[in-house]
Amino acid sequence: MVIKTRELGNIVIFDIQGEIRRADTIQETLHSLVEAQLDRGRRNLLLDLGGVEFIDSFGVGQILASYISTQHLGGKLKLCRISDKLLLIFKITMLDKVLDIHEDCDRALESFGRA
Amino acid sequence: MADGRLERILKRLGDVRGHEARAALALSALFFLITATFYIVKPVKESFLIGARPGWWPFADLATALLIGLVVAVNARLLDRLPRRTYLTASLLFFISGLLVFWFIFDVHQKSLYSTPVADSSGVFFLLWARMMIWDHFPVFVIAFCFWADIFIAMSVTQFWIAVNDAFDPHEAKRLVGLFVTGGLFGGIAGAAAAALMTVARLIPPEDLLLVCPFLLALAIAAVNAVYAEKRRTDAVAGDERLAVPAKVGAWESFRAVRNDRYLRRLAAMVASAIIAGSLINYQFKWVVMSLFTSGQARTSFIALFFLVILAVSAAFHLLTTGRVLKSYGIRWAMAVAPAFLLAVSATVFVIPLGLLLAWAWVARGGDKMFDNTLGQSVRELLYIPVSASVKYRAKVFIDVLVNKIATGTAAVLWLVLNAWRVFEYRLDPLSVVRETGLVVLAFLALWLVLTRSVYREYPAVLKKDLGRIWQEGRTVIDAHLDEKLVREVFDAVQSRERSTTLYYMNLFNLVRSKNLTPELQELLGIKRNELKARAMDALFDVGAAGGLYPGLEETITDAEFQKEIDLIYLLPAYQKIMDESLGRIIDSPSEVERIEAANSICRMAPSPPTMDALARLLQDASVEVVLYALNGASVHRRPEHVPIILRHLANPMTIVEAQTALAAYGPEIVGRLAPLLRSADEPLEVRRAVPEVLARIGSQKAADILVAELARRREDMEQALIDALYKIRAERARVRFRERDLRPELRFLIRKACDAVLGPPGPPDEARAALIIRLRRVFDLLTLLYPREDIINDYQHILQGTPKSVDYALEHLDNLLDREDKELLFPLIEDLPDGERVLRLKRALRLK
Repeated sequence: MVIKTRELGNIVIFDIQGEIRRADTIQETLHSLVEAQLDRGRRNLLLDLGGVEFIDSFGVGQILASYISTQHLGGKLKLCRISDKLLLIFKITMLDKVLDIHEDCDRALESFGRA
Repeated sequence: MADGRLERILKRLGDVRGHEARAALALSALFFLITATFYIVKPVKESFLIGARPGWWPFADLATALLIGLVVAVNARLLDRLPRRTYLTASLLFFISGLLVFWFIFDVHQKSLYSTPVADSSGVFFLLWARMMIWDHFPVFVIAFCFWADIFIAMSVTQFWIAVNDAFDPHEAKRLVGLFVTGGLFGGIAGAAAAALMTVARLIPPEDLLLVCPFLLALAIAAVNAVYAEKRRTDAVAGDERLAVPAKVGAWESFRAVRNDRYLRRLAAMVASAIIAGSLINYQFKWVVMSLFTSGQARTSFIALFFLVILAVSAAFHLLTTGRVLKSYGIRWAMAVAPAFLLAVSATVFVIPLGLLLAWAWVARGGDKMFDNTLGQSVRELLYIPVSASVKYRAKVFIDVLVNKIATGTAAVLWLVLNAWRVFEYRLDPLSVVRETGLVVLAFLALWLVLTRSVYREYPAVLKKDLGRIWQEGRTVIDAHLDEKLVREVFDAVQSRERSTTLYYMNLFNLVRSKNLTPELQELLGIKRNELKARAMDALFDVGAAGGLYPGLEETITDAEFQKEIDLIYLLPAYQKIMDESLGRIIDSPSEVERIEAANSICRMAPSPPTMDALARLLQDASVEVVLYALNGASVHRRPEHVPIILRHLANPMTIVEAQTALAAYGPEIVGRLAPLLRSADEPLEVRRAVPEVLARIGSQKAADILVAELARRREDMEQALIDALYKIRAERARVRFRERDLRPELRFLIRKACDAVLGPPGPPDEARAALIIRLRRVFDLLTLLYPREDIINDYQHILQGTPKSVDYALEHLDNLLDREDKELLFPLIEDLPDGERVLRLKRALRLK
């Protein structure tokens, strides 16, 4: 998994490539990266999952933990460009009821301004 | 004068900030002029009234009580129809003309005392007729003047506070109330001093004092116009349209607003009892003055002097005490001071000798006036803060004018009844009259005191009524919408199809046995398959031929008989014997899948020593996937010998969640083993940081006590984890109790650290603000352990993201909730202050140079 962060106005975008899953080697997790941005005072976070092929239970846990941490500080965490495969599982497991998921990232970025 | 300089000057008298300075000064000047006028009018009124028979006294108050409804109705109509600025100007012009009319009446009466009315050569018959009228019906004019004076003070003070509400929002008004009261007090002193000097020095007769007042009210008109001109200017800058939409304040709307609101009903009752007690004390005072002063000039001088002294004492008391009492003890005790003091003073009337009666009357009436001018005035305005703006205007008009005057009328009726009851002449001596009245006064003072408690009990509830949640806690949203454990198991099951069909069916079997799967989930997992969907799913997850090895087995798995058969197999002694012998070989397999399958099966096996030994080895496997399944097995069997191995997995971010879940499954018996880890220098920081979450999931009282004790060690690196865990226990375990004596020092320590974030070496403003917000979040998380959790969370959310008004309410709510010392440090951190001001206040609170 490769995660790059960039900022657009007051929004931090996480461009994620690969699989958000458990690895045999210890590496920086998505949640720790999100927490680092929250510590910097950033409150609008967007996970761009366009390059994500698969998420396992660890990945789900990381996204949910990031969501909880962001909400706790009054911030917003949104997801965009999630693949059809993942979106189906997210829908069936009702993760879409909790997470703010957008088809494309521009709309997600716009929605930060609306809220 | 430049705003900055003006602000600096006003700051000495109150908490004035930048843009507020001009409007605040104009409003203070307005209140100064109104009260100066009133304290010139008041000695004239009292002197003329005391000069009449005591039997007449109550009629002035009764006239006010009976006619005030009419005045309120007319006033409401004007308030609705006229722009606020025009309405206030017109009101002041009306009072100016009233003053001139009454001056004429009193002047004519005084001249009639030593000259005979004749028709002069110019034939001014009207004046002759007027002189005759005034001479014949002078007491009626005195009562009319008293009524007019009552209307003047009631309406002008209410109109003043309406102007304050127009010009400032509640939180600004709360900060500035001290400045306005100071303006009013100095106005009173100036008015009373002018009246006393002029009458004591016999410069002018009492009635001529009334000619001074129109000049003061003309200046008040200028002040009103300055307030609204300044407001228009600042609103234009801020785009605020508040003035454009005045609230309807008709008499009926006012009555309904109070009737429909329990808090306002109690507030009205409290005000009424205070007014009745105060009015009766006033009658006692008048009786004493009447008994000791017979000359009108001497009476006027004495009363003017009395008000001068009381106002001077009030001003000193206000400047030295009001702010401190409110800040240090809050509104609750500030409300109780006046009735408690008056209760004590009124009780002494039954033991004092006649010679001390005047001194007693001074203290009783003076005390009532002093508290009314200072703490009472401030508290009354603060009590309206939580009331919504639309209701506030109506309630204020109803309570401050109508209830006030009806209560005065009630006191008048009581005085009349007491007078009528005094049938024996010996009972008319001053001491008897004052003591008899004192019994009734005591009853109303006691009622007032009781009602202060009742109002205060409602006050926080009214404050927090509009402080709903701005956003839901992430955990709450997740718990409300999904079963997180199930979601994780579903993802694992789906993923396991890639590895091994057997593993997939094992996971499926576990899922079906433990969970009530929704039809959608069953479809996703191939159960009760809809062919189209199933094919789509197979394609989506790219399972290739794996799904085809045991076609239709998903259906079989849901079959109860099949599940029973599997359970029976696991219980077979022969199965256990074979597995005991074979597990060692299986877990040595180079195949990761085989080891995962073994770890998965162990969950359902009996805990024989070889099985548990195999589980211990699987827990130490090199593959994270194997460990993950083994941790699940460990959480089922909960063997003490596995604990040290599980603990090691707390250091790995890939296994931390499952390791925490496994340890939490051990329940309260593991708490004692976890406690030493928190402070062990040998354990990696990641392990120590992961332990509080385990204790939080166990959630026992002992777990909470351990976390609090660890927090008291004040280790920066553990702080966030400990506070998160305590917050979680508070949210999920209502029975767990937290001792204030343990938490209070830690709360203060955290607040001081938040102060350090502001006072520390200057860095980039964004980073400093981010650090402060993180620190404040910890403070508020800890506050939930000491105070109602929901209220604290709501207050925090509104302070962070609320509207200016809801921030005010949240701050006011916290002001009434928190400990004084905590507030002193916390408020400069959470109030909207300029950075320099924030630093200054923090340094003052921390007693730093």
